[in-house]
Amino acid sequence: MTQVTQHLPHRFPFLFVDRILKREPGVRVLAEKLVTLSEPYFSGHFEERPVVPGVLMLEMLAQAGGFLEADSLQGKAIFLAGVQDARFKAPAFPGDRLELEVRPGGGFGGLSKLQGEVRCEGRVLCTATLIVAQVKP
Amino acid sequence: MDDLKLRVKQMLIDRLKLEGMTPDQIEDKAPLFGEGLGLDSIDALELVLAVEQTFGVKIEDEASGLQAFKDVDSLTAFIAEHKPV
Repeated sequence: MTQVTQHLPHRFPFLFVDRILKREPGVRVLAEKLVTLSEPYFSGHFEERPVVPGVLMLEMLAQAGGFLEADSLQGKAIFLAGVQDARFKAPAFPGDRLELEVRPGGGFGGLSKLQGEVRCEGRVLCTATLIVAQVKP
Repeated sequence: MDDLKLRVKQMLIDRLKLEGMTPDQIEDKAPLFGEGLGLDSIDALELVLAVEQTFGVKIEDEASGLQAFKDVDSLTAFIAEHKPV
């Protein structure tokens, strides 16, 4: 089983992947994020009605996309370079078990496209195309 | 303008969202990157994918990309040369 923190450099409170369910490097990643009320951003987003910010769903997909790479991302410089066609179809709330699915969409010159989808209990919450850059050290 | 070149220009406009531009406004010898159309590296990725999807031509590495993406004329020539029959 893939150890999330051995692969990603992200840490609390900005680690948004809890578990890798399926991993086929270069083909597909299925990851899981359990949303809990103790996430720090819920105190302000929003006080009376906690909702996961849409941009964080994009971050979840970007982090899950890191597992498409066979090698660990520790020590590598990877940046989010672009977001295309992001759709937020339904909100995510505390208690939700989010399924993050990411597939590669081609690459060139150090940039890669990722096709991502966030689902909860079979319902699609967010779809987006992300562009990530890997900068050679 | 020959048919392939026109399709190449139309692809540039559609995929790179060069809104308001028409094929005859894109000069055959204008550099695609930097000056000229002023495309960036994300456009380059978009263009590689568009050329593959539209014409079935793969641009495998940065060296071929550099050659193909010089201007519209070079891109058209690259596609004509590598197009599956």
